[in-house]
Amino acid sequence: MERPLSPFMFPVWYRFQITSALSILHRLTGIALAIGSMLLTWWLVAVAAGGQVFAATHAFIASPFGVLLLFLWSVAFFYHLCNGVRHLAWDAGYGFELRQAFFGSYAVLVATVVLTALAWLPLWLI
Amino acid sequence: MATTRSLSDGTALRDENVLRRVRQLGSGRDGLGEWQLQRKTALALIPLALYFVASMLRLAVSDELTAAQWLSSPVPALLTILFVIALFAHAIVGLRSVLLDYVHTRGRLLAAELLLRALVIVLAGASVLAVLKLFLAR
Repeated sequence: MERPLSPFMFPVWYRFQITSALSILHRLTGIALAIGSMLLTWWLVAVAAGGQVFAATHAFIASPFGVLLLFLWSVAFFYHLCNGVRHLAWDAGYGFELRQAFFGSYAVLVATVVLTALAWLPLWLI
Repeated sequence: MATTRSLSDGTALRDENVLRRVRQLGSGRDGLGEWQLQRKTALALIPLALYFVASMLRLAVSDELTAAQWLSSPVPALLTILFVIALFAHAIVGLRSVLLDYVHTRGRLLAAELLLRALVIVLAGASVLAVLKLFLAR
């Protein structure tokens, strides 16, 4: 029997809604953060190894591409963090009313922008 | 919704015990444990990740000596190790659920899961070892 398999719903049968968009974004940022954590491990190992390994890692992170990666990583982190708190609230049984779901969605987006700005503005101003 | 009653509310039994008895109503296997691990690591990661990211913003482009000094001091070393363990435990649950959703062949799923677990264990081990080396050498 040909049964529909995930992710068959998203582009065809599903009307765009902020709630479902944020839901898939939670998973996508989670995957991105997991990939980013490989760079984190690499950095820790590079500090421990020192010398040339650290110099090469440092050059990569400080390059425009490295800084771009860090920036995207921080956006993904703050989004996943804020939306994760929303998930924990759902697990505790709160926030399922439609108005709360929409309010929470926009709150997460605003918080992501604010936290990312708070993190990067001091670095940028120096 | 917050007032949802579960069988275990009125007894000393924890959810997992009740579920094992009432198989038709819930997982009698280890799904609940994984669900709880995802939430517990999520809670732990709120302070740990915020601490680490806040520190990283200063350190990411710092020189070797500054980074090594920070990582070898007791509190940053401990919190970094805890962060890395919670992070990879959280990642394994999340990535596994992605595989369960999108990999539809049993053999491929098993291979992908084993590969994922091996990779995450190596990354977590290397991270912990790197911090330990710096801490023990101070």
